[in-house]
Amino acid sequence: MLKGADIVLRCLRAEGVELVFGYPGGAIMPLYDALEGSGVRHILTRHEQGAVFAAEGYARVTGQVGVAMATSGPGATNLVTGIADAKMDSVPLVCITGQVRSPLIGTDAFQETDVFGVTLSLTKWSRLVRTIDEIPEAIAEGFHWARSGRPGPVVIDIPTDMLKAKKEFAGPVKFTPHARPADAKAEGGFTDTIVALLQQSSKPVALVGAGAKLSGAIPDLRRLLDDLNVPTFATVHGLGAVPPEAPYYLGMVGMHGTRAANTALHETDLLMVFGARLDDRVTGEPTRFAPHAKIVHFEIDPAQLDRVRPCDLPVIGNLADTIPAFQAELKRHSLPDFSSWRGVACGAERAELDPRGLAQPTIRFLDELFSRLPENNVVLTDVGQHQMWAAQRYRSSSPRGFITSGGLGAMGFALPAAVGVQLAKPGACVLCVSGDGGFQMNIQELATVHRLGLPVKMVIIDNKYLGMVRQWQQLFYQRNYAETDLSDNPDFVEIAKAYKIHSFRLDEDAMREFPVSQETGDQIDRFLRSPEPELLVFDCAPEANVFPMVPAGAALSEMLLEEEPTQ
Amino acid sequence: MQTFHIRYRNTQGTLMRILNAASRRALDLPVVQAEPAEHDHQVTLALDVNQKQVGQLYREWYGIADVIKVTSGAAHTNAWALPHPPAGVAIEESRAAARA
Repeated sequence: MLKGADIVLRCLRAEGVELVFGYPGGAIMPLYDALEGSGVRHILTRHEQGAVFAAEGYARVTGQVGVAMATSGPGATNLVTGIADAKMDSVPLVCITGQVRSPLIGTDAFQETDVFGVTLSLTKWSRLVRTIDEIPEAIAEGFHWARSGRPGPVVIDIPTDMLKAKKEFAGPVKFTPHARPADAKAEGGFTDTIVALLQQSSKPVALVGAGAKLSGAIPDLRRLLDDLNVPTFATVHGLGAVPPEAPYYLGMVGMHGTRAANTALHETDLLMVFGARLDDRVTGEPTRFAPHAKIVHFEIDPAQLDRVRPCDLPVIGNLADTIPAFQAELKRHSLPDFSSWRGVACGAERAELDPRGLAQPTIRFLDELFSRLPENNVVLTDVGQHQMWAAQRYRSSSPRGFITSGGLGAMGFALPAAVGVQLAKPGACVLCVSGDGGFQMNIQELATVHRLGLPVKMVIIDNKYLGMVRQWQQLFYQRNYAETDLSDNPDFVEIAKAYKIHSFRLDEDAMREFPVSQETGDQIDRFLRSPEPELLVFDCAPEANVFPMVPAGAALSEMLLEEEPTQ
Repeated sequence: MQTFHIRYRNTQGTLMRILNAASRRALDLPVVQAEPAEHDHQVTLALDVNQKQVGQLYREWYGIADVIKVTSGAAHTNAWALPHPPAGVAIEESRAAARA
């Protein structure tokens, strides 16, 4: 006879789970009681949101399912932002929540929340367990849905009496899904249609999103792109999928994308999308998105098609299947000579980096950091200006090397996510770049970093503002900096010291000379190679802005390259 | 107004996920009829939608784990123009019972 809690842990082990992130509380205590000797290592964060973001970090960098645990009521509701984040960014995540005793469900008992209801629209699948017999099946099915198709979040809510109850346990079960029409794969006929479209095209481009990484299709994709040799760009989650040195690669596209990428996307007559949702941050004003183009959309999730703009040829299926099929067809045909288009789109004039941006000390600082990173590295960012600067300056061909909250844009993501990444990649240099606003949203996870001795390299770009909101206020709200002033920030160096974490400060004067001084370079090198956790606070100009920028409601071709007078 | 017939396995939350695909788009749900259908269940919805929303709803419904099939057709709006049962019936009955 085993308790329900032991059965949960046995089933987790059967799914390959070694690490879970969580925070204990009343209704989930039986599960915590059973942890010792279970083979499942628990990482105590200092807030449930920290736990779910850490589980996401683990999942994003490994591709495996991340697991977070929390108690009922506030514990479970504190997971909600992370669940929404995992839904938006296709992160395989299983959240196990304790629930009040079965007889109390629906009575507004102490710490009772309808977690099943609260998370219904944010999850791929969820289950409120009613009997101990359901536990193995619920866990097997939950992991199946978290991993399958477009990955996403799952919630399994288990009443505390089910965790305490006992039963004979025959072992974990396997879940076999019912076949559905929606699971149909792409018909083979799409390949010659794309080739025909390419042969009619004079300005084709390729757009790469997260789906290319999630499908494991990166080697196939890179071979295909080499064969196509057309201007190519990536979404923020597609960064790292294409080697930055590829001569046809134009960097990031979208609201803060490069001038070259946005211009090519506006001019193209054939857009091939590989695993991207085409959300509004990528398209700009949808009615003026790629206005001359036919769109071929490779996508595993049919629900992502036609959201902002109808596509002309949907290719539904796993990119690991559809890209090789396309490439095989491509090899049987000759394509038009796209060299003159490539010369324009990828030419020096357009690819030239924004000179104003280059002059910014913060961008120079990020360049210094990135250029000095050890080979084995992962960069995380929080959300805001620093996130976009980092995305613009990131140069790596590591598909899972740049991790950020892209779809939801959840401030407070980076530090706890870095905990999960560092645990998954103990030998890697994990660089966590945050703003001063976002860092304070989960600052308590410094305690987790310290307790585990994780050598996370934390950077705060401190401009003493909620910088991205302030930038919008400056550009579009007549400099009315309503409630974005953080000039009374605490001393982050002293805070880190209180957590027994070494910390120091650099100001932007250190970046005014180019190349940077030997002393500054040595400081950065020592920081990145320290075997201990460290915090570097970079004092940034309060009103530095991110450019290029496509204003809300504008087309990609209407990007601002620098500040314009307020209207 | 368009009708949608969604065949699904009646597992926890599946009907709510189907309805949520409409409600998250701020679509009114004037008609919702769920019933057993052979070995499964079926819900019939009447929704005032445009062509773009039809496509989005189809794909979103098919994305739900236990949805089996989605079909649609024109709605018989007259038959569904009848008012809902008065919302206050239960309360009135309770009041009457309390006064008795």
